Amino acid sequence: MTAQIAFAAANGIVLGMAVFLVAAGLTLVFGILKVFNFAHGSFFMIGAYIAHAITGQDPSSLPYFLFAAFVAALAVGAMGIATDTLVLRRLSSVANDYTLIATFAILLLCDGATKMVFGQDIYAVYPPAVLDQTMDVGILLTYYSVFIVACGIIVFVLLELGLNRLWFGKLVQTVARDPWMAGVIGLRVQRLKLVSVGVSFALAGLAGGLLVANQSLSLSLGHSYLLLAFNSVIVGGLGSIRGAFVAALIFGLFESFNSLLLPSMPGTVSYMVLIAVILLKPEGLFPERT
Amino acid sequence: MSVLVAKGIRKTYGSLEVLKGVDLSVGAGETFAIIGPNGAGKTTLFKVLTGEVSAQGGSVSFDGKDVTRLPAFVRARMGFGRTFQVARVFGELSIFTNVVLAIEARKVNGGESCGRWWDWRPSADTSDEARSLLESVGLGRQGDEEAGLLSHGDKKRLEFAVTLAGKPRILMLDEPTAGMSAADRKSTTNLLRDLKAKGITIIMTEHDMDVIFDLADRLMVLNYGAVVSQGDPVTVREDEMVKQVYLGKGVGHA
Amino acid sequence: MNGSSFMRPAVILLFVAALAAAPFAVNQGLLFLIGIAMLQAMFALSWNLMFRYAGLASFGHAMFYGIGGYAVAAIIFHGFPLPFLLAILLSTAIGAVVAFVVALIVLQRAAGIQLAVLTLALSQLVLLFVSYTDFLGRDDGLSGLARPVLDFGFFTLDLRSPTAFYYFIMVAFALVTAGLLWFVSGRFGRVLLAVRIDSERAAFLGVDVRRKRIFVFTLAGAIASFAGALAAPWAQIISTDSMSWFNSAQPMLATLLGGAGSYWGPVIGAFGLILVNYFTRTFVGLSEFMVGGILLFVVLLAPSGIAGFFEMLRRMRNRTRTASAREHNQ
Repeated sequence: MTAQIAFAAANGIVLGMAVFLVAAGLTLVFGILKVFNFAHGSFFMIGAYIAHAITGQDPSSLPYFLFAAFVAALAVGAMGIATDTLVLRRLSSVANDYTLIATFAILLLCDGATKMVFGQDIYAVYPPAVLDQTMDVGILLTYYSVFIVACGIIVFVLLELGLNRLWFGKLVQTVARDPWMAGVIGLRVQRLKLVSVGVSFALAGLAGGLLVANQSLSLSLGHSYLLLAFNSVIVGGLGSIRGAFVAALIFGLFESFNSLLLPSMPGTVSYMVLIAVILLKPEGLFPERT
Repeated sequence: MSVLVAKGIRKTYGSLEVLKGVDLSVGAGETFAIIGPNGAGKTTLFKVLTGEVSAQGGSVSFDGKDVTRLPAFVRARMGFGRTFQVARVFGELSIFTNVVLAIEARKVNGGESCGRWWDWRPSADTSDEARSLLESVGLGRQGDEEAGLLSHGDKKRLEFAVTLAGKPRILMLDEPTAGMSAADRKSTTNLLRDLKAKGITIIMTEHDMDVIFDLADRLMVLNYGAVVSQGDPVTVREDEMVKQVYLGKGVGHA
Repeated sequence: MNGSSFMRPAVILLFVAALAAAPFAVNQGLLFLIGIAMLQAMFALSWNLMFRYAGLASFGHAMFYGIGGYAVAAIIFHGFPLPFLLAILLSTAIGAVVAFVVALIVLQRAAGIQLAVLTLALSQLVLLFVSYTDFLGRDDGLSGLARPVLDFGFFTLDLRSPTAFYYFIMVAFALVTAGLLWFVSGRFGRVLLAVRIDSERAAFLGVDVRRKRIFVFTLAGAIASFAGALAAPWAQIISTDSMSWFNSAQPMLATLLGGAGSYWGPVIGAFGLILVNYFTRTFVGLSEFMVGGILLFVVLLAPSGIAGFFEMLRRMRNRTRTASAREHNQ
């Protein structure tokens, strides 16, 4: 039983980190643009498809695998910038509901385009040979899952440091809080915004490239992660990186223990957690100060 | 007899104490003005009285009934009518519909009939009442126009008509003449004087001292969330404290 | 009054005539789609009832469509001896009750994004529970649903005939559309509009905003369930797809496409969507691409949708007409 629990915990942490990788970009986009991007999962999926297109089924080495993820990040980042300039910026003065619906339209557009370009086949990608091994630490862990956890933690630390400590992050926060004032004190609001939007979307592509392995790559991939990432961002508090990190871990663990303790109903507990949190603490666990 | 009584109203936003135990009592038919510099807590006090925000301490009673915990819509049904600093009308609807809405809401809440249930149009007497109300605020001829397209002053008039359609027993007016031209201000003052003559109790905040001294029976001066002075306009005007904190040099000699 | 006030009834009459003539003019496949379009139009009307008249954008409305569908499907599939009309009524009632409970919970706190995610999450949760329930066919749903024969004693209506069922749907569609139009044009519709435009102001007219919203949410849920309850036997199959978030998006798409600011917008949009799907059916992904593209185009360039576009044309024409009339008089 203890082994089972340890295994479930480890799985939960891995899932949580994977969800965080997706959620990070989503919550960042919200923090900067105040837009809840329904299309985020589609961008994530596009990143995965791009990485797959580069590496094929068997990435030859870890650097090559990382390179593919990086290219996916760049490409999706560029798409994000295009989305912001062509769509989101034009809707900044319109009611919130319309922006939500516009991102939904982008989701449809992306899904349709992905289907048209990549077809409906399900692909498989394996981790590079280095990561495709297991180790025995009481329970069996794949190197790849350890790699995912490491990626999650690295992204989290970089974002936390970047946003709170470094000059760029401070600038971004200023712009997000009060664009008008930022403009008055001479910041190039539009350019800063563009860069940070690019980075946020790039995170979705990066997540796609990193998580592509050990998944069956199909259209539903985006959607399953998307919903968990949504939930993490809402529960963590919109716009909060720390919140998304904690909430993603919570959801990962709940999902994992859900399948251990309530195997007949996988997936239900996290929705209940979400509903409870929204009702009891609608601003999330780590509300952004405004 | 007092219609509206508030005791020891306290309200804090975070660590900021906006109201520090305010008492007030307004008699039937009285016109009561709350004045004070910006940030004195006038609007917050107003919102506590109308039920939009709840206070941390104190009680509000209307007609002897404790209404402290009652939400705004219940107070509205009891006879609170309210206008906003920047007039709020239903912009997408026609001017006429704005008033019809208010009349129908009053009728439904009062258990009156609104005409035949299957008829989607407003009943004849509702329409007549709406027209005469619009007439009384000088908007009689523009009924079909979209309310959102009205000028600022006309929106204020429309809001008056909407509020009066509820046949309120107490009118809560937040800066009724704010942003109005001198002419509009004059006509609003006249309108308020008519209402006052009809015996409606009025509570208002207002910046324009002419309007206040013209209408108010009693004044309360707020500063930093506390009552500085209270009484009839002449007494308040002579109060040294008030001169110091509020009326200042600009108005003191008027 | 001018000439264009005759336009709308004329267009509606033409629309009804076209729907009535469809069984004689088109093949079975297209007839089926037109039936679906009518059901989707009802579904979309119910969504817009919340959106336009209470300011609530639900992202999980398919939950009710699915509940209605599953209720009827289970009755038919498991052979409960319940007359079809009663089964429909019962399914609608179940949808209404669930919607009422959901509204009580959801409208307590949530607004905007929270409301969107909360409704989405609730619908996903219901979907998961359905997919784990043997009685409801788990992931596969219930298929091979027999279409009923209605026995009124003095005559029978055999809904096994597609044409008969089609007319049955058409009558239901007409009744719901007319009923809702009457409802929103009346006193209640006026109050609801006020609630959506400025709920705080409406409260100062003595309107119990929360109660109105709960009522609208319940009514919308009931209508969606009704549409779903007709859709299951029409398609003769029900699956969890019916309550997926993709299906939740359909009424939104239809409404936005057709125009959220007009009563008829969702109807126009629902038929438009079916047309797009019909003409792009052979190319995988093209329909989503097209729908997404059109929706984006509409949101960016014509937020008032197709109906709003026609309204704009009408206004422009009227303006030129009054202008030329003025010139005549001078």
